[in-house]
Amino acid sequence: MKLGRLSAAAGFAALALALAACSSTSASSAPEKAADPEARVVVANFRAPVSNWALESDDAYVLSIAGCLETLAKYDQGTKTVEPMLATSWKQSSDTEWDFELRKNVEFQDGTIMDAKAVAASLNHVLKATAPARAVNPKTIKKVEALDADTVRVTTPGADPLLPYRMASVNAGVLSPAAYTGKGIDPMHHCTGPFAPVSEKAGQSLTLDRNENYWDGEVKLAGGEIRYITEGATRATQVQTVEADISMSIPATSLATLEADDKISVLKADSPRTSTLYLNNSRAPFDNPELRKAATMALDLPAMAASIYEGAAQPATGPFAPSEPWANPDLAVPQVNLVEAKKLVEASGYKQEKPLEIIAITERAEFAGVGAIIQEQFKQIGLQANVVTKSYGAAEPDVLAGKYDMILSQRNRMIDIADPIGFLQSDYTCEGGYNLSHYCNEDYDKLVGQALVEKDETKRHDLYRKAGDILAEDAANVWLVNEQAIDAVGAKVQGYVQDPLTRYVLTKDLAKTS
Amino acid sequence: MVRRVLGLGASVLLSSFVVFLVPFVSPGDPVRSLLRARMDIGAADEATVQAYAEQFGLHDPMLVQFGRWLGRFATGDMGISHISGTPVADQVLPAIGVTLSLAGSALLVAIVASILLGVASATRAGQWPDRLITSITHALIAIPEYALAPLLVLLFAVRFSLLPSAGFDSPASLVLPVFILALRPISFFTVAVRSGVCQALDSEHVLAARARGLSSTQALVRHVVPHGLLPLWTMVGVWFAGLLGGSVIVEVIFAIPGMGRLIFDSIVDADIPVAQGGVVVVVACAVVVTGIVDLVHKISDPNVRIGVRHG
Repeated sequence: MKLGRLSAAAGFAALALALAACSSTSASSAPEKAADPEARVVVANFRAPVSNWALESDDAYVLSIAGCLETLAKYDQGTKTVEPMLATSWKQSSDTEWDFELRKNVEFQDGTIMDAKAVAASLNHVLKATAPARAVNPKTIKKVEALDADTVRVTTPGADPLLPYRMASVNAGVLSPAAYTGKGIDPMHHCTGPFAPVSEKAGQSLTLDRNENYWDGEVKLAGGEIRYITEGATRATQVQTVEADISMSIPATSLATLEADDKISVLKADSPRTSTLYLNNSRAPFDNPELRKAATMALDLPAMAASIYEGAAQPATGPFAPSEPWANPDLAVPQVNLVEAKKLVEASGYKQEKPLEIIAITERAEFAGVGAIIQEQFKQIGLQANVVTKSYGAAEPDVLAGKYDMILSQRNRMIDIADPIGFLQSDYTCEGGYNLSHYCNEDYDKLVGQALVEKDETKRHDLYRKAGDILAEDAANVWLVNEQAIDAVGAKVQGYVQDPLTRYVLTKDLAKTS
Repeated sequence: MVRRVLGLGASVLLSSFVVFLVPFVSPGDPVRSLLRARMDIGAADEATVQAYAEQFGLHDPMLVQFGRWLGRFATGDMGISHISGTPVADQVLPAIGVTLSLAGSALLVAIVASILLGVASATRAGQWPDRLITSITHALIAIPEYALAPLLVLLFAVRFSLLPSAGFDSPASLVLPVFILALRPISFFTVAVRSGVCQALDSEHVLAARARGLSSTQALVRHVVPHGLLPLWTMVGVWFAGLLGGSVIVEVIFAIPGMGRLIFDSIVDADIPVAQGGVVVVVACAVVVTGIVDLVHKISDPNVRIGVRHG
């Protein structure tokens, strides 16, 4: 986020690198070799810990990526299911009570046994945070207690079929009791994962060694290093120069260069982020659904994805990415139809007295360009708009208060748990806490209410699909592009599985040739 | 000395108050900025915002908050970061160490290079070496760091694999950022040294020295260069102060955890104790360094050494 604020400089830097690197020599990839048990992998991570390793913060992601922090359950992006991790099983003993059976003989890296008491203490620590975690907080979890040495009971305030998803959130990570010091969290040798943090260079990197006693078997690497490199072009360069083996979240400007390098594999997957033109549904002119539909028809999303995003995003079909199990496969990318759009504008009776305002938040450098394209395409249907750039913090009070026309922003649908219920509830229900578009539809709210208590996953996904259809039908917003999670991996790395939710990188199966 | 200490106190007070004002004059809620820095969150609920503000006393009147910070600072306590909850000193002191070595190395390179270039240029005034050096230094002034840095990274890190592309963990990793930070001061310093040496070359005491039989090299070393470098020392102090807090672009591109980046990030995230602590340390370092430079200036000024009064 912060780097967006240096967007001009960083963007120029990225462009210069991308252009100049076109002339660099590409070497052929190394022949397949056996993994080196003494190898260490360097990861250029886009996120730096800033909260003294507080698990309720995004620092938990860094510990998870590092192969240190583990949770009771794990959401598998491949199978799209919640699977056992530190818990071997769980059952719902009542509507509001879930019992998690812990894996036996798991030790923290300091040699302490992971028992129910330690797990309950870890989770309760997160619950007590002043700024609670998104997934695990007093609104979602009432209490956590040890029933016996191997069983943890989690009580929720109301029926919550998604509790195992919450226990799979990195914020629900489990650390040794010794990690909770008077000065904050000390993760050194206090996790259960395949890698133990051994040292940190403040603001630079975290070094890890193999956990020889890992509960899930052999760890192939001797260790690793997570480097905190928040500038995207620098991360891209690090994998080019082989200073890093894996670089996460590659910016669009570096994509072509890395794809042309045969020593590097570029992995792409749908991320849960959709760049969106939020329309203020609560006031004219976008309180008129016909005008919102006209806005959708005016925009050429494939061209936008190809130009501004340089192939690092796909045109959106609706509020979900097509690969998500709850997305409606029948939804297509909206086609440009200027004739119909003009008719809708005329039929709406909207008489424009002054230009509308599109807020492009500065945290995302590309939004200024996206705003300019939208401005031009709106002109073609008779809508005049000005683009203003603001930091999100500066725009937020007016946006939440409904005092705006349009804002370009993006949301991670699965920032709390690997399920969109939190997003559907907060962003689009009438009482939603983050309903930027001030959208309100009773039918939609009813569906989300049903989904909140639906235990059957298939039925729940069906409800999400129907809710998404309502949003698309009402043209609540214009969903522009689905962003891709893009990682670059060096030729010596073996066994890397990309996680679009950016939780797992250093795993026991990750290996590297000499 | 007393005047300098009073000046330092006034500078610290003023700069820390200006930084402190930022969240009060910026649009948006600083508490929400703090929460967003901790986690990628939409809109935190009001109860969380209130509880977080309560924890750090962020809803107290502005002057009460500043007075509280000042009271702590007077006892040597820079306060607690509103994002990490850790002592500000734990962030500021490592960062100033990084920046001092970065800025110090850059200035050292700049001083040495500019003396060589400036003297070479002045002693061949109007000839091709002078024209070449002048052209290059003028061009370097115009090239921004964010344009030069990626090109040099591409050349020395990607193309020839001679240097690391980023980081701050080895002497090699310092080479590119130091070189990039040094280029602009080299340009300005070279112009100043050239001008100073040209003036010294034309001065009466140099002509007198030559008349006494000193060779041109002897005259240059004993009389011209000491006089010619006087304008340089004045500029060094100013540049050093600027580099302490102003190398943020280089720090971002090279992933260096320095002071410019720390202050920038903390202001953007409304983590004001960290920003205040950073600015105070930068100001203090700048004042101390300026004092040292003044001293060097006096020692190296031949007019002062031989008791000549200016004016």
